[in-house]
Amino acid sequence: MQVSSLPRLRRRLFWAVPVLLLALPLLTNEYTQFVANGMLIAALVTLGFSLVIGNLGQLAFANTAFFGLGAYASAILSATLGLPWIVTIPLSGLVGALGGFVASSAALRGIRAYYLAIITLAFGELMRWVYVHARPVTGGTNGLALPKETLFGFSLSDDKVKFYVFLLVAVLLIKATSNLLRSRLGRAIMAVRENEVATASLGIPTARIILMTFAWSGFVTGCAGALFARHVGHVFPESFGMIQLISSFAMVLVGGLGSILGAVLGAVLLTALPEYLRAFPGLEELFFGLIVGAVLLVLPMGLASLLRRASPLFSERYYRE
Amino acid sequence: MFLQLTLGGLSQGAIYALVALSLTVVYRSTTVVNFGHGDFVMAGAFISYVLVVIAGVAFLPAAVLAVLAMFVLGVLFSRGLIRRVRGGPHIGLALMCIAAGYVLRGIARMVWGREVLPMPRVFDIEPIFIGNLVITGDAVFIIGTVLVLLLTLFGLLAFTDLGKMVQAVYQSPRGARLIGLNVELFDDFSWGVGAALGAIGGILIAPVSLLHPDLGASFLIKGFAAMTLGGFGAPFGAVLGGLILGVAEQYAGAYIDTSLIEITAYLVIVLVLFLRPQGLFGRKAVVKV
Repeated sequence: MQVSSLPRLRRRLFWAVPVLLLALPLLTNEYTQFVANGMLIAALVTLGFSLVIGNLGQLAFANTAFFGLGAYASAILSATLGLPWIVTIPLSGLVGALGGFVASSAALRGIRAYYLAIITLAFGELMRWVYVHARPVTGGTNGLALPKETLFGFSLSDDKVKFYVFLLVAVLLIKATSNLLRSRLGRAIMAVRENEVATASLGIPTARIILMTFAWSGFVTGCAGALFARHVGHVFPESFGMIQLISSFAMVLVGGLGSILGAVLGAVLLTALPEYLRAFPGLEELFFGLIVGAVLLVLPMGLASLLRRASPLFSERYYRE
Repeated sequence: MFLQLTLGGLSQGAIYALVALSLTVVYRSTTVVNFGHGDFVMAGAFISYVLVVIAGVAFLPAAVLAVLAMFVLGVLFSRGLIRRVRGGPHIGLALMCIAAGYVLRGIARMVWGREVLPMPRVFDIEPIFIGNLVITGDAVFIIGTVLVLLLTLFGLLAFTDLGKMVQAVYQSPRGARLIGLNVELFDDFSWGVGAALGAIGGILIAPVSLLHPDLGASFLIKGFAAMTLGGFGAPFGAVLGGLILGVAEQYAGAYIDTSLIEITAYLVIVLVLFLRPQGLFGRKAVVKV
């Protein structure tokens, strides 16, 4: 294989995946289609999370909150204000991005590392408190149901219809994130991870880079939240709790910190499993905890690092090894 | 009313102080913030519960056994897991702590399901009445135990060679190694002490509240809030921060709204980090770039 054709081959491979996936609803039954939809959402959540902890290198816990914000924004906008659900997707993304700004705004005050992690943890818990206590808007512990809708004559209650919408959103956001990481901003993000002082000495406003990364991560995760609201049809405060957090950590790590391919892989691999684990209380936490620990010990850069070693087709320059 | 709230806040705050201090012990000697610490606290409480309720051991020996067990667990965690990820990306350390916490919580939930367990009361001391003020035996016991622990710990740190060695390891692990200190052993030891102190917090709170696997998560946040308020890495600050937080929760709950008790800690974290990131006694926590 000639080296010069590699980028083109990679681009084709990238687009081949969603094109092939278009045929997926022909092969699935009701249940597997539901799981596949969940995988697309998980892929976006993992991508958003990996961006912060992998590419930016900041430990943060707020992504569960961005996800919840997106889901609630979508539910409130479509149930209470009567907007078509499809329109609420980008709006939920914006709400998630706003959450990203707020959660990371302490970075402007010079807050980093553990302090930033703790403040994002507090932000996430505060949001959960708001979901429960802002009853008139969020429905409290009962949550909010999304109204039944049609899109161009197709029912949005049908998982196969949802799949095509989810796939489109996922592909757009993954492509956009990939482009972002290869842009000037993307390189700045990874420079902050490697050495913030050196990055600042090049005239790059590192605090603003951190805020922008959180905002984009919030946008991706917020959009995923809107998809999730439609996916389950009902938004509850419990959906955005501690289990969601550890499963996101596990997905990012299994796939590989800071790798886009890894985010998708980790999400796909770990989404199907919990359905079986959920039957026993505690098993999910135990399972994800063990997975995170094992990956850290055995394969710290995740499955993506194995693929990278196997073929240059899968190489991403997002992490120095 | 006011005094009663203050007393309740202090006895609650004493536990937060203990949790914050145990986090600080680990942080000062290893520079790792244990994001799974809340679950260590929960595990200590659960072990004592098993010993008291299921095995029928008396409270005090059960408490001692539980604390020893958590000390061993802390040492093993440091030796077996933390040491191995020290070389990797720094985020790996925090993630390993989180993973360990979830494993503990998962085990607790697998054994006890979604139940909430009441721990039998330890001492049936008649409450003391002073005017309108009611001083319960639990409050006396909690505050007394924490006070004794704190005095012992601060005494050890301030007046003994051990304290000087701990300080040396904190300030410069490299320098400490040069003068012949076994830094790795200190790390293991600090993890053990941190886990044991956290377990004491869990054991103290168990008889006055209910036991459930998610107990730890709220203690972690409260410990963080106390540490942030007092200044990260400052042992005295952690204690004072814990007490202030405990009292603040009671006031906020009584004078403003009871639902505020849950989120006082979060609000404290946010406010402190924005207004005075170094806390009351800490060093500057901010980077200047």
